Amino acid sequence: MEEKKFYLTKQKLKELEQEHESLVVFERSKTIGEEAPKVLESEDLNPEFLSFQEDMSFLRSRITELKNILGNYELIKNPSKQNQNIVGLGAMVLVNVDGEKDEFLITGTLEANPSLGKISNESPVGKALMGHKVGDEVVVSSPIKTIYKVKKIKYLSS
Amino acid sequence: MENLLNFFTEIGKLKKMPRRGWVIRNVKNPESIAEHTFRVTIMAWFLGDKKNSNFNIEKIIKMALIHDLCEVYAGDITPYDSILTKDNKKLQQLVKTWPRFSEKKKKKLVEQKYKKEKEGLDKLIKNLSPDLKNEVKSLWLDYESGSSKEGRFFKQTDRIESFLQAMEYWEKDKTVPQKPWWDQARELFDDPILLNLVEKMGEKFYKKKKPKI
Repeated sequence: MEEKKFYLTKQKLKELEQEHESLVVFERSKTIGEEAPKVLESEDLNPEFLSFQEDMSFLRSRITELKNILGNYELIKNPSKQNQNIVGLGAMVLVNVDGEKDEFLITGTLEANPSLGKISNESPVGKALMGHKVGDEVVVSSPIKTIYKVKKIKYLSS
Repeated sequence: MENLLNFFTEIGKLKKMPRRGWVIRNVKNPESIAEHTFRVTIMAWFLGDKKNSNFNIEKIIKMALIHDLCEVYAGDITPYDSILTKDNKKLQQLVKTWPRFSEKKKKKLVEQKYKKEKEGLDKLIKNLSPDLKNEVKSLWLDYESGSSKEGRFFKQTDRIESFLQAMEYWEKDKTVPQKPWWDQARELFDDPILLNLVEKMGEKFYKKKKPKI
């Protein structure tokens, strides 16, 4: 069992709790041979759902995974007012990379989606940006150098 | 059986479909989508084997095998597509950097790609048995959304295979850009096993010569 800590936003926590609850209900209904509630079959509600209908091992492994996350999470909270000028989890960071603007939201690994600008705090760039302030130049250099100039830091719900 | 045969014929097209990322970079005789699938499946299996015992290897192997099937109809979409130019000189300049977009544009590009690929996959699997259809679709959705640990791990492995290929092309032809791959890798990868592999790749390929920026 992984002992890793998962950093989650409130919204993600709610989603995972709902998914866990739905899957447990679904597993129970499958085990006792009842038909699953129709609402649970929507692929929008849970992308993995379709396969679970036929494969109980996939279903149980997802329930175990969710249980592990829900037992080892920490909510991402905005830092105090005086620390909101520092990059941390949950920060939206406007950077200048090689002369081009980009914007990153620093998330935990479960919510990272670099195509949407959400980068993990465990990625090399996410890690390097943490703790920096506006005006700092963050150099990620191995083996090819790239400079991230921090232009703006914003905490979304602040 | 006829439906299966038709399906096999359709996915066979991936053996001859070149990956567009290499085509726009002027790589000679670029690999096909099926060739990428072959190696990334082995990589996902062997690298996934290094994860803990809760990691579902069968699932990640199947996910690897099906992840690009949608491209039979959707084609191979690259992050550069929305800014491509017919001017080859400008294009080669463009692919030297990782494309940067506004938050709004990123969202739009992701949605467009998802829609096109989902439609492609639905068309491809529509005549498969319900069991197979459900399994392929849910594995693909998991890969796309990264909803399970296998999905998240495979998404990164998929990019590493392409990164490795980029280094292999660079070894033969030093005009194949390397910086965008590093920029992408350092923003995308967060799995310690995969980050370790990337480090080893850099050590192996840039031992004699470092790429110019």
